[in-house]
Amino acid sequence: MNEKKLQAKDFITIGIFTALLFVVEFACGMLGFIHPYIVASYVVMIPIVGSIPMMLFYTKIEKFGMLSIMSVLLAIIMFVTGMGYLGAPLIIASGVIADLIARSGEYKSFKKTVISYGVFCLWICANYFPVVITADSYRKNLIDGGYTAEYCDNLFRAINSKTIAVLLVLCFVFGCVGALIGKAIVRKHFEKAGIV
Amino acid sequence: MSVKLDPRTKLYMIFVVSAVVMMSATTPFLWAVRITMTMIPILLLIMEKHYAAAFRFLILYAAALIVTFRFLSESSKGFLAAFLVGYCSIIVQFMPAMITAWYVVRTTKIGEFVCAMQKMHIPDGITISLAVVMRFFPTIKEEYTSIRDAMKMRGIMLGGGNAAGIIEYRMIPLLFSCVNIGDELSAAAVTRGLGGKVKRTSVQELKMSVADYLLMLLFTAALGVFVVFKYIK
Amino acid sequence: MMQTIAQINNVTHRYKGAAENSLDGVSLTIQKGETILLCGASGSGKTSVIRLLNGLIPHYYHGDMTGDVTVKGLDIAKTQLYELAGIVGTVFQNPRSQFFSVDTDGEIVFGPENIGLAPDEIKARKEAIAKQMNLDKLLGRSLFALSGGEKQRIACASVAALLPEIILLDEPSSNLDMQAISMLHDIIRGWKKQGKTIIISEHRLWYLKDIADRVIYMDKGRIAREWRGKEFAELSEVETRQLGLRPTSINEHYLALLSDKDDVKFKQEQFFDGIMLKDFYFSYHHKPYLLRRKQFSVADGDALSLCIPELILPKGKVTAVIGSNGTGKSTFLRCICGLEKDCTGVIVANGKEYKKRQRIGFSYMVMQDVNHQLFTDSVEKEVLLSMKEKDVNRCHEILDTLGLLGYKDTHPMALSGGQKQRVAIASAIAAGAELLLFDEPTSGLDYAHMKKVGELLRQLAEAGSTVLVSTHDPEFIEQCCDHTLRIKNGRAVSFEAWNDQDRNSIR
Repeated sequence: MNEKKLQAKDFITIGIFTALLFVVEFACGMLGFIHPYIVASYVVMIPIVGSIPMMLFYTKIEKFGMLSIMSVLLAIIMFVTGMGYLGAPLIIASGVIADLIARSGEYKSFKKTVISYGVFCLWICANYFPVVITADSYRKNLIDGGYTAEYCDNLFRAINSKTIAVLLVLCFVFGCVGALIGKAIVRKHFEKAGIV
Repeated sequence: MSVKLDPRTKLYMIFVVSAVVMMSATTPFLWAVRITMTMIPILLLIMEKHYAAAFRFLILYAAALIVTFRFLSESSKGFLAAFLVGYCSIIVQFMPAMITAWYVVRTTKIGEFVCAMQKMHIPDGITISLAVVMRFFPTIKEEYTSIRDAMKMRGIMLGGGNAAGIIEYRMIPLLFSCVNIGDELSAAAVTRGLGGKVKRTSVQELKMSVADYLLMLLFTAALGVFVVFKYIK
Repeated sequence: MMQTIAQINNVTHRYKGAAENSLDGVSLTIQKGETILLCGASGSGKTSVIRLLNGLIPHYYHGDMTGDVTVKGLDIAKTQLYELAGIVGTVFQNPRSQFFSVDTDGEIVFGPENIGLAPDEIKARKEAIAKQMNLDKLLGRSLFALSGGEKQRIACASVAALLPEIILLDEPSSNLDMQAISMLHDIIRGWKKQGKTIIISEHRLWYLKDIADRVIYMDKGRIAREWRGKEFAELSEVETRQLGLRPTSINEHYLALLSDKDDVKFKQEQFFDGIMLKDFYFSYHHKPYLLRRKQFSVADGDALSLCIPELILPKGKVTAVIGSNGTGKSTFLRCICGLEKDCTGVIVANGKEYKKRQRIGFSYMVMQDVNHQLFTDSVEKEVLLSMKEKDVNRCHEILDTLGLLGYKDTHPMALSGGQKQRVAIASAIAAGAELLLFDEPTSGLDYAHMKKVGELLRQLAEAGSTVLVSTHDPEFIEQCCDHTLRIKNGRAVSFEAWNDQDRNSIR
């Protein structure tokens, strides 16, 4: 059964892990309601917590397309849950590129997996797109409306179109760190239990 | 009375609302359009008998609107005020998208959704995966509830003296369960013909009704208004 | 005129990574319209035979295989799984994991949609099946809101909607109560009447004795014995026991005990040494409240999901909690061990009162799915996690008594189901729990494993723990329980002593 095409079983695996990853994202997202600053820390939390299911997912990938489809699904879910569609190109691009990187290591090379996951994590930045895009006009509105400039700066210091580059880099870095942690946990549990 | 909307209309609604929340309303007219757009999903929720949710959204949205417009416009200083403004403006800005999404997620059956995707010529692989995602959310919830119970019984809700344990003890049993369920689910699905070469059919019948066209028209108009104001005027 | 519909020809199979063969030279010819029961211990190869016939071996579960299998003239090795979908249908063991949709309608039409039937044809089939199997009440509902028995009925309907000629059932009754089993029995009999070929792998044999035409006994991957259905039904309990099988018939007494009989007036026996449960009231529906959540009390009457004013459990004994599914057994156990924090109720034992959170320390529940309560990466750490003061010696002592010392460095998830259960028990003991609760510990176990669990519970009771076990398993109750407590609608309706004399007298 070494066909190149994805089988029904692969699609089900993709579905399961996408659901798990989204639950992680959602749980972390909930924390964002506490204060806007926490929203910025998504780039640390989601890559690291998400690495546990994702590293398990990587052990199940043998064929091209699984990561790409996962990113498409994430984009669809983000869209349907009202979190905007402007990030979709970023999500899908990072998924496909991550898939290509992992494929160049035939889905076995650990180094490639780390980089691939780092790239995949860039999708998290799609969460910021609506805010970044609305931010400028929004800030103007707020100040026109009489809000203190101090508050506005507070709100947008963490997230604006300049820092988005920094956030992307952070996503990648913490993605790689997360991959190492996730892999250690997969070894500690799933390999020891003989599941993978 | 209940209006059965086509999932494609609902997706279009989300599309428009998500676009509009990213453009700020600068004139009273735009505010009126925006508020009308928010009221439509609330009205639809009421028609579908989701009274509690509709009521909650309505109150929250109205409260946020009032706070932003009335009380915090002139001399809002200090941490608390800033905090409150932050919340309320975020709610006013993004709430319409949340309400619409909530309405769509609550009132669309997965079968309908998958069928709509098929009609839009999205490949089977993606629709299958997406159906699994939908089926797995409640499963994850069930499994997680049991795991949390087990953690309570062990007294390790906070990781049992091990900070990483807070995440590890939740995640590990959850992953083991999900992988097992996934294996059994795949076996059961392939023996019922999933993954065959024939094109899947669907018993769902999707038809655009007058209400669908009407809503699409309305939302397109609203989108038009915002685009004109933002880019042309 | 008999007509062969499926044939297994000298098949030997070993799963990838396994040390032993799962099947060892198995040959079997199946006639059209036959009903075959496969029995034998866990790991004897029953499930593998089922997987040969539905093609999961070799297409889904990889491994080394010799020999060939033909079903309706198709060579399985060369046939894709989806081509078999309209010919062979399979009902699996676990009702939780085998459905694909979230609603019942979607699940029934799932198969026909996959093979690309026309929508009108699918609808007609769905209606016919729903009528045939009496599913009207279940249509249009969320699968997540159904009981195990209802889910299993939908699984049967979903398989039947593909109109397969051969239907395979892999331990379908494992998670079902008496009522659901009798419903399953009716479904299988209906299929038999329609002339379907049916192959069932099962541990519980009594409900199938009037259905099976042929019974095949598997042992270590071989077909060891074969009976005609009638011959098998007449096997004595001694004979079945020697084969390590569960009995072929159940004493009427148990059937009456486990099915919903008339209410007996509840009478509490007094025990010299007991654990008293006082004022356990609970409902899943919260009371409306303004400022302070009101506590449940006996005055809430019918609104209560659990209403036990006073109950004394005999200390150092095993008490079976019985009653059909959805009648409050699980709620009862959850309330005792403090998982439902809104439940009022005090446990009085050793002259001390345990309230609210303290109940968690006093009692411990071994869940039906033990996988949910194993957290660490070795058996030893798992037990130490339960101890407030980590005491490695004590930990080894506990593991030793449970026969787990040899596995102390193994990952708990790498163990067998029975061993996992014992790890969970070890953590309970390490936590110092005096009241041990078990939720359906024997569902899906074969005779030997069931007996082992029974012995273990007796051993725990003799060591001074009080054991409360919810179960549908009559053979298990007979084996190890001292008392039976019946729960109905969240009320304790009877409490009976169950000693050896009674056991002998009803034989």
